[in-house]
Amino acid sequence: MRIATTEPWIEAPLARYVEEARARLALLLHPSGQVVAQAGFTRAIDVMTACALASAVHATSSELGRRVDGKPFRGLHHAGAERQLYLAPAETARGAYICLTVFDAASSLGLVRIYFDDLCRELAAAAPPLVPLREPALAVDFERDLNANLAAMFGRS
Amino acid sequence: MSTPFTPMLEALSRQRGVRASLIVSEDDGLMIDSSLRFGQEGERVAALAASLYRKARLSASAARLGAVAFLQLDAERGRICAVGGRGDLVIVVVAEPAANVGLIRVELLRALESVT
Repeated sequence: MRIATTEPWIEAPLARYVEEARARLALLLHPSGQVVAQAGFTRAIDVMTACALASAVHATSSELGRRVDGKPFRGLHHAGAERQLYLAPAETARGAYICLTVFDAASSLGLVRIYFDDLCRELAAAAPPLVPLREPALAVDFERDLNANLAAMFGRS
Repeated sequence: MSTPFTPMLEALSRQRGVRASLIVSEDDGLMIDSSLRFGQEGERVAALAASLYRKARLSASAARLGAVAFLQLDAERGRICAVGGRGDLVIVVVAEPAANVGLIRVELLRALESVT
């Protein structure tokens, strides 16, 4: 499966995760919706759409968790007729990322969850020392950054 | 928290050489209930054993062998035994290498009968 990242230290843990969890698609993004890494997608437009939707769903479920449980829900699972998704945050020294995993009958929620825990540990261990914090994602910069990340992954300028 | 499966799992874990017993959803790979000794990673065992059982069932079906009656995996430091076929449920036992597999098999099949 083709894996593309904007940060090289993510590639090995994500490749291992996708392989072991038998995931069909995986997406790592900033909570703002900026893509950081993807596996299995073939079109930039699909990545962009999935990032926007995953970010929105994560924000919604986190807020819902705060309301009903006092803290954000950790993971979110949806089961479809043939495909399922698991959406959960991964904390690193560089901040939190969101991981969207799509899987089918070749895997299971249990497998995805245990290997996602491994991914979180590996990302936390592999994350380089914290560099000066990114500027908040401003509307004026968002599209430029998003296009730069997509171009880095899909080889377009 | 006790479930309707707790007495059955505790009875399995009382067998000589049994380290853990679990009841797992085959489709989700999620642990429904367990009787674990200290140090066992229940969720990991549950997910992987459910995956193993499902693959064995699919393999048996593809080879036209019918349903899987009993699954046994022998490893260097122990063995995993599993039975299923009651809907989505799989009963898994993790045992020591010297454990009496014949007895475990009988107890597992008896436990399966008690699961509706």
